[in-house]
Amino acid sequence: MRAPKFLLAVPAWAWLTAFFILPVATVVYFSFGYKPGLFGTHATDVLSLDRYREALSPTFFTTFVNTLRIGILGTLICLLIGIPMAYWMAVKVSPRWRTLLLALVIVPFWTNFLVRTIGWQVILAPEGWLSGLLQSIGLRDAPLAILYTRPAVLLGVVYNYLPLMILPLFVAFDRVGPALREASKDLGADRLRTFLRVTLPMARPGMIAGILLVFIPLMGDYITAVVLGGARGNMVGQLVASQFQAAQNWALGSAMAVLLIVVIAGAVLAGGLLAWLVSWPVRHRTRLGLADLENIAVQERA
Amino acid sequence: MTGRISLTDVLLRVWGVLVFAFLFLPIAVIIVYSFNEGRLLVSFTEFGTTPFRAIVERPAIRSAVMVSIQTGAIAAVISTVLGTLAGVAMARRPGKWVVVFVGLLLLVSVTPEIVDAVALLPWLVLLGQDAGMPIFDNGVVRLVIGHSLFATAVVSYIVRARLVGLDAQLEEASADLYATPLRTFRRITLPLAMPAVLAGGLLAFTLSLDNTIISAFVQVSGTTPWPVYVLSALRSGLRPEIAAVSTLMLLLTLVSLTLVWLVLRRAGDSSTQIAKTMTGN
Amino acid sequence: MTRARRPRPIRILAPAAVAPRIRAEFNRRQFLAGAMALGGAGLLTACGGDSDGDTASPTGDASPRATGGDLEGQVSIYTWGDYDSPDVLDAFSEELGPEIRLDAFNSNEEMIAKLVAARGTSGYDIVVPTGQFIPQMVENDLLEPINKELIPNIEHVDEAFLGLEWDPENAYSICKAWGTTGYVYDNTVITRELTDWNDFIDAAKNEASGRTSLLDDPAELTGLYFWANGINWTTEDEADLQAAEDFLVGELAPHITAFDSYPGGSAIPQGQHVLMQSWNGDARLGIMESPDPDRWTWVLGAPATQLWMDNWCIAKGAPNIEAAHAFINFVLAPENVIEQTDYIGYHTGAKDVESMAEEAGLEMLDLIFFTPDQVATMQEGAVNSAQQRIVDIWNKMKAAAGA
Repeated sequence: MRAPKFLLAVPAWAWLTAFFILPVATVVYFSFGYKPGLFGTHATDVLSLDRYREALSPTFFTTFVNTLRIGILGTLICLLIGIPMAYWMAVKVSPRWRTLLLALVIVPFWTNFLVRTIGWQVILAPEGWLSGLLQSIGLRDAPLAILYTRPAVLLGVVYNYLPLMILPLFVAFDRVGPALREASKDLGADRLRTFLRVTLPMARPGMIAGILLVFIPLMGDYITAVVLGGARGNMVGQLVASQFQAAQNWALGSAMAVLLIVVIAGAVLAGGLLAWLVSWPVRHRTRLGLADLENIAVQERA
Repeated sequence: MTGRISLTDVLLRVWGVLVFAFLFLPIAVIIVYSFNEGRLLVSFTEFGTTPFRAIVERPAIRSAVMVSIQTGAIAAVISTVLGTLAGVAMARRPGKWVVVFVGLLLLVSVTPEIVDAVALLPWLVLLGQDAGMPIFDNGVVRLVIGHSLFATAVVSYIVRARLVGLDAQLEEASADLYATPLRTFRRITLPLAMPAVLAGGLLAFTLSLDNTIISAFVQVSGTTPWPVYVLSALRSGLRPEIAAVSTLMLLLTLVSLTLVWLVLRRAGDSSTQIAKTMTGN
Repeated sequence: MTRARRPRPIRILAPAAVAPRIRAEFNRRQFLAGAMALGGAGLLTACGGDSDGDTASPTGDASPRATGGDLEGQVSIYTWGDYDSPDVLDAFSEELGPEIRLDAFNSNEEMIAKLVAARGTSGYDIVVPTGQFIPQMVENDLLEPINKELIPNIEHVDEAFLGLEWDPENAYSICKAWGTTGYVYDNTVITRELTDWNDFIDAAKNEASGRTSLLDDPAELTGLYFWANGINWTTEDEADLQAAEDFLVGELAPHITAFDSYPGGSAIPQGQHVLMQSWNGDARLGIMESPDPDRWTWVLGAPATQLWMDNWCIAKGAPNIEAAHAFINFVLAPENVIEQTDYIGYHTGAKDVESMAEEAGLEMLDLIFFTPDQVATMQEGAVNSAQQRIVDIWNKMKAAAGA
């Protein structure tokens, strides 16, 4: 191969450079500047790190901790709901239904975000459907009070991020293919062992993709958690947005955004490291098993 | 696969049905509430079809929906093409560059939307006005650019996750048989990646359809997309028309999905099946 | 006008073969020039505040550009979503010709950022900012002066809503709709009578604790404290601001469940909270559409509260400036004013609109129209040096309420 390895990535690289790196770099540059006067948003004739000092406030950390909790819990729940769902769609459902189901997972999200939320409100409101149902069958004697609680925060988050988890998982389970699973069974492994030792490890790239696609944007999101969760869904992205919008202080907003990016990246790295350490003994054994299976599968095909 | 139905299969099926119920529950509510004669979307007064008539009569609503669909489709195509190529490169041509590139993709997904928004707006004006590239003054082009950033990252991740670690023997065999790289890509790699491409494209379209913050900043006169319209209509109270739009869109989607599915079914195979044939299973 | 702002075409005589190269070279230079300007000016002219914006712009500051000439074929309005009666818009196009193009924004800051970046080429004719943002827009040269001779219907606007602090001469703006802040409570839960902000605070800490929502706007939060304590809500005094912070973050925050700017749209009809700070038109809508309207009581903020006003303004560089004037004049006509009030549920600032509303049979008029005594307690807002401080208080309060 004479062509450079990254040749196929060049278009994406160029696109992101032109419309992400260059413009965002200018904004990052603002973070070293200041807000000039009442009606200005930023100036960069005097550069300093003062905005970062301002950004590192106790408010930022309190809010970040709340955000991190919502981010981790939301991602975990998405994963727990998503794995059986994606496995069912990719493995158990007959191929002719698969594409249709895949599309059906997505279709609810073609309804506007606010409108979907209102759908949930109608269901969960104290005067809403669920409350009436529970009261009439005697499961509750007072109106339902779930809106604006921590569970409601998670409901809003999980509902809206679930497709970002299910789709990568589906794609990953789908690639495992029946041959490997059957080989595993032929070797005497039961269904559970096959799932744990063959299917799940093969689907790992998809799980990682799903976790990243849910966790990372969720950490910067500040609307999804608030709409059903109210004050409990306060997210750190809100701080950044409030500087750009209400305070019209782009310098401080940029500094906060940079800080946010750094701490999220830190959280992802820490999480990755932790997962790597935890899975170290398991991984070692799984690798061996997989290789054996692959050999057998290849032999059978031959 | 054998015909036995085990307990696990039943449980999985129940789980699947429950998840679908969860996904469609609020949507079902919205469908009911779109036949609301009242003034406010959330309070149902009596059954009627006035909201649907309002869609016909109100150009602002129709134009917003059309802008969103158009933008979503174009953004999905662009990010799917860019993301697929990048994902294939990451999985098939790994090297040190992948680390840098993944870093870039992570940066794209981690950057709060408001930062993209305030950064893109003056940038696009600069390109359009000062650099004399009037294409960047076009509202749909601006929206597409804004929506394609995160979506490109999404598609790249998914395509890479699909291909990484998956046997590259077929591609190598194809190359050994003197197939051009383009032919190998088209006949082998792409079918292998197809489910991921499809899933990524769907997600890209969906993300674009919901994008509010970037859209609000980069839109120009005449291209207010649907989510921006809905959010700003909060000031005077959301009307049932907004639910009616959702119902209509859902109906159209389901009808076209069924059609596509029937056609695919007649043609014989789903994309997954094609991929399987290729891998010789 | 866009044409005036674009560089004139440069004509060069050259062999056909090299023409593309020359053009490319020119484009590249233009681009570089633009990029330099970008680096130097720090991207946006919004760095203003040092008031170099008003150096002899050719369109002139004092003399409005519109002359009452022929109407253009279109008028483009950038406003809050669903903020005008579709019937009035249709009637305008039918009677006077120009097609209306509507675009929506979600916040004043977003709209301003847009106009600043576009430097007069946004393509919007009419924008609808809230009053306290108008000085900033004028200073950043974002608005065209209005030619009031072309808007004779301004005579139908009540004097009380003309010449407010942010635009004393109405040189740039005319009232579009105005409202005020108060609150709504569920009288089946809070059985005593509440009458002012201090009652609101007391109820929020007691019966309504954990079931109270506040407006999601920094000035409304600090305003709540200032109005209750007889302090001017546009104060820039650090001691006042610190007192507001101590109270909001330390005392009130733990009792708050949500920050919601539009409870009328869903929280009131669904009974989500029992005590909600809200704007009058939104509260009216929510109560009217509630399945049990008698359950809700509206209280106008007292002893003081705010007066906010959205205004008709003309964007700098408006391509259809004659049509824009014609439109503003059209919506101010008495027959259209009542349609607008009915549709959006806010007072448009017109004279005698109250009696028209009574004739038209509109409900709950006490949430649209206020007595002169009440109006006297309403204070206009301002964007001033306290802005950063109140945004910080807002964020701190949210962090405290979310913990």
